[in-house]
Amino acid sequence: MPNPRKPEKETITICAYCGVGCGFKAETIGNEIVRMTPWKEGKANHGHSCIKGRFAYDYWCHPDRIKTPMIRDSIDEPWQEVSWDEAFTHAASELKRIQGKYGRSSVGGVSSSRCTNEEIFLTTKLVRAVFGNNNIDNCARICHSPTQFGLSATVGAGAASQHFDSILQADVIMVVGANPTEGHPVFGSMMKRRIRQGAKLIVIDPRRTETVDSPHCRADVHLALRPGTNVAILNSIAHVIVRENRHDEEFIKSRCEWQEFEHWAELVGSEEYSPDNIGPIAGVDPEDIRRAARMYSSGPNSTIYYGLGVTEHSQGSTGVMCLGNLGLACGMFGREGVGVNPLRGQGNVQGGSCLGSWPHVFSGYRFVTDDATRESFEADWGVELDSEPGLRLPNMFDAALTGHFKGMYIMGEDPVQSDPNQNHIIAAFREMECVIVHDLFLNETSKYAHVFLPGSSSLEKDGTFTGAERRIGRVRQVVEPLAGYQDWEVTVKLMNAMGYDVEYAHAGEVLEELARLTPAYSGASFELLDRVGSAQWPVNTAAPEGTEVLHTEQFPRANGLGTFMLTGFVPTRERVSEQFPLLLTTGRILTQYNVGTQTRRTANSQWHPEDVLEMTFDDMQMRGLSNGDSVTITSRFGSTQLKVVESVRVNPGVIYTTFHHAETKANVVTSDLSDWATNCPEYKVTAVEVAKVISPDAQHAEASVKRSAPRERDVEEVR
Amino acid sequence: MWNEVRGLRDGIDYGTPPRDGKPVTLTVDGVEVTVPEGSSVMLAATEAERAVPKLCATDMLESFGSCRVCLVEIEGQRGYPASCTTLVAPGMVVQTQSDRLATLRKGVMELYLSDFPESEIPDGWSEFHRTLEEIGITGHRYGKGQNHFGLPVDDSNPYFLFDPAKCIVCSRCVRACAEVQGTFALTIEGRGFESKVAASQGESFMESECVSCGACVQACPSHALVEKSLFPGGYERAKST
Amino acid sequence: MTTDDNRPAVSGDVIDMKHLIVMANQIGDFFASYPPKRAREGLRNHLRINWDPRMRNALLAHIDSGGDGLDVNVIDAVQLLRKAADKSGYYGPPQA
Repeated sequence: MPNPRKPEKETITICAYCGVGCGFKAETIGNEIVRMTPWKEGKANHGHSCIKGRFAYDYWCHPDRIKTPMIRDSIDEPWQEVSWDEAFTHAASELKRIQGKYGRSSVGGVSSSRCTNEEIFLTTKLVRAVFGNNNIDNCARICHSPTQFGLSATVGAGAASQHFDSILQADVIMVVGANPTEGHPVFGSMMKRRIRQGAKLIVIDPRRTETVDSPHCRADVHLALRPGTNVAILNSIAHVIVRENRHDEEFIKSRCEWQEFEHWAELVGSEEYSPDNIGPIAGVDPEDIRRAARMYSSGPNSTIYYGLGVTEHSQGSTGVMCLGNLGLACGMFGREGVGVNPLRGQGNVQGGSCLGSWPHVFSGYRFVTDDATRESFEADWGVELDSEPGLRLPNMFDAALTGHFKGMYIMGEDPVQSDPNQNHIIAAFREMECVIVHDLFLNETSKYAHVFLPGSSSLEKDGTFTGAERRIGRVRQVVEPLAGYQDWEVTVKLMNAMGYDVEYAHAGEVLEELARLTPAYSGASFELLDRVGSAQWPVNTAAPEGTEVLHTEQFPRANGLGTFMLTGFVPTRERVSEQFPLLLTTGRILTQYNVGTQTRRTANSQWHPEDVLEMTFDDMQMRGLSNGDSVTITSRFGSTQLKVVESVRVNPGVIYTTFHHAETKANVVTSDLSDWATNCPEYKVTAVEVAKVISPDAQHAEASVKRSAPRERDVEEVR
Repeated sequence: MWNEVRGLRDGIDYGTPPRDGKPVTLTVDGVEVTVPEGSSVMLAATEAERAVPKLCATDMLESFGSCRVCLVEIEGQRGYPASCTTLVAPGMVVQTQSDRLATLRKGVMELYLSDFPESEIPDGWSEFHRTLEEIGITGHRYGKGQNHFGLPVDDSNPYFLFDPAKCIVCSRCVRACAEVQGTFALTIEGRGFESKVAASQGESFMESECVSCGACVQACPSHALVEKSLFPGGYERAKST
Repeated sequence: MTTDDNRPAVSGDVIDMKHLIVMANQIGDFFASYPPKRAREGLRNHLRINWDPRMRNALLAHIDSGGDGLDVNVIDAVQLLRKAADKSGYYGPPQA
């Protein structure tokens, strides 16, 4: 037929991929999705899309989809297919047996940021009300947990202060440790639109990314700092602002704790953080630091967008506090065109944060140690709850190795591929007695699992997502779940199997419960979202259709004022040395999404069939490497192989790769260091060495890489 | 400010981006309508439910004025201005229909039709087909002349293809790649009859800087750029008679 | 449902003491910018709100047996936990 077939039905839903949360129309003929088109009324995307949401949806019906539950007694045995009932009974009895033998805190769970708010909430309920402990975490642990910590400390809310459109009113845009053109493309396009209209751009990133330089859009200042020096640079920028009197005294006096500002100004104003001192340490021209500081503080509207290049460091939370401090110091909060905004990566990671999928807080960011909050949950759920914080995800693995943690329910996550220090994690899983993986496909983690519960994609369920701009929107079911259940139904049945009696007629009832227990979501309901499309939290009686810009009058801290945290620069313990003289940093690419669970099963792999290592020409030449060679990359923790390509995007001494393919095993190499406050892994700084792989078939057998000849380079330390 | 994104509506194409601005009142076909300053006459006509037929205009992109279909008559102005590039003015009086306008539009559409594969006209549901119906055209007076039916289909991208035979060179794809996505991968190569859509330096879509965002596919009014998933058995080139 | 009893059947530290020492020292490094009293209370609050009680107890036990590897200011701060160890309640900075 020469003419294209015409879709019969449209269902408005939200993209399954990144935190922009583009509104899409899923167009179907019968039970087949024939295309996804961007929804013009989607408030996050206004009719635009990227390759992933627009085209890469076929993974949902990929032959690898598991449709039947499976169990096995040991990970060395093959999987046995069983019925749903058998799977639930087996999982429940195993978990209870383990708790009987090793104690109540020997099991835990992790929720998925690609599942709905309703599903995340039910997972926290499973762990808290049914397991009886607080060993619940979410993947934000390994990406934006420092955002949660750092922004809560300074401005009282660990979330983006603005909505995306706000950037259209910005005069200066500062992007720190993020690459929106690749990681949040639709937002990146909006940002470029504003820059073409004349806004200035400052980028702080070790690489010359597409965000730094693309058609009609070039950064006015690019600080290509050495990985691990974020806090030093941000303090140095603050130094210039404070010393040159560029801070907004009126704003600080009226909206912030003035005394804390004075302490902070004294810290950053000290000689230690002058650009002349910090520039050489960070590998940046001191004059550029001054230009960035003057540009940002002049505004009039300056906005900050940041990503994992800030958070995934041993000073991740400190880095976020620096950004909060800068925003407060220059009065860049509480109106359009300003703010400090984390670019949260996953479709519903903000939801996971809001709904208490953390070991130390209930939903609404209220501490588990707080009696009043805990009692309100106990009243609603009908059971006594644990009053002490539980284990964070990395600590669950540590505890497995000492025999204290034996069972785990993992929904929609693949820690073996995505978490750092892979050998450590695999060893931990091997010690566990009941690992339950609830996912769409078999993955690296399921190799160590005892129960596999087939999951459902976001095309197969009803619920809500909360995007990076705090936007709560409706995920609507487009096709029937392949395995027969929506994910939230599976969690409920597991709860039932363990003896906790609860049922919900549909996902909307779960939203009602979570709205009751989460102040910022109290006004959210399917009815509201059907009527207005989407709403940014807080959505409550004061703001029945949501809140676009935060902090307009008060900061949500006890005294309503913002505060300044003292952010001394503490260099990472990860140092380069003679043995490991290069710094590896990681990132993302447009066409693949995180560990590639979905995108590798679509045609997107044609663009990025493998992860490659980017190195400068000089670094390659020193090691006898040519473009396209296979190389081994080694750190203190392990080694893996990659293909190397020459790049002008990184500085000498810094190398870069992505982590989308399991074969890459990038995380075998990453370190065990993490953020002081949240244990967010320091993915962005690993000391490594690279050497050519000598293939046994090589026709011209090259002698080993020229490492025997002593090199002129000095041993460097990251200060 | 931002009405150009926030003012967009599903199911309505205003033709040019909504604006923020002081209200301006004008009359379209006798209907009084008030729109923000900076809006086009085309947008005002759509608001007044007197929408003008169009091809190269769409409300996600700035106006271009190349197709010459959206012509209107404005009291006190000579000629037949394009409603997409004409801004509203207070008290303006616009006519969207007249015999002369109908003739002009039919003329333009016949020219488009003479270079469009005829076998694809029945059952087509693209914007181009709808506009043909709106204007009341089913055939053209020209015999078989020079055309673009021989240009190769670019199906290098796994998700969408480009069939130049159906391209009406409205430039919506080029503009979408520039204004909406910001990648600037597309351009119009050549002039006059030789004009054609090209990716980067005349490479295939896959080899070019295209990031496969689909903005061009979304913008294309004639299904020249179209999702491969809408052709379950594979894409068959139209046979031109 | 679940057992009421939280006694672990396994003895020994819940996580490797090496990790706990590194983590505790890192927290100490952050609070080093603060005057001593606030630094001690800040560290204490942080552990109280964020650390599983078994991790806190392991750290206290380590201090009892010499506190090898821990920075001095960290030891002082962690000791404050003894007074609060039995008390549940709000210890942290104000939140959203």
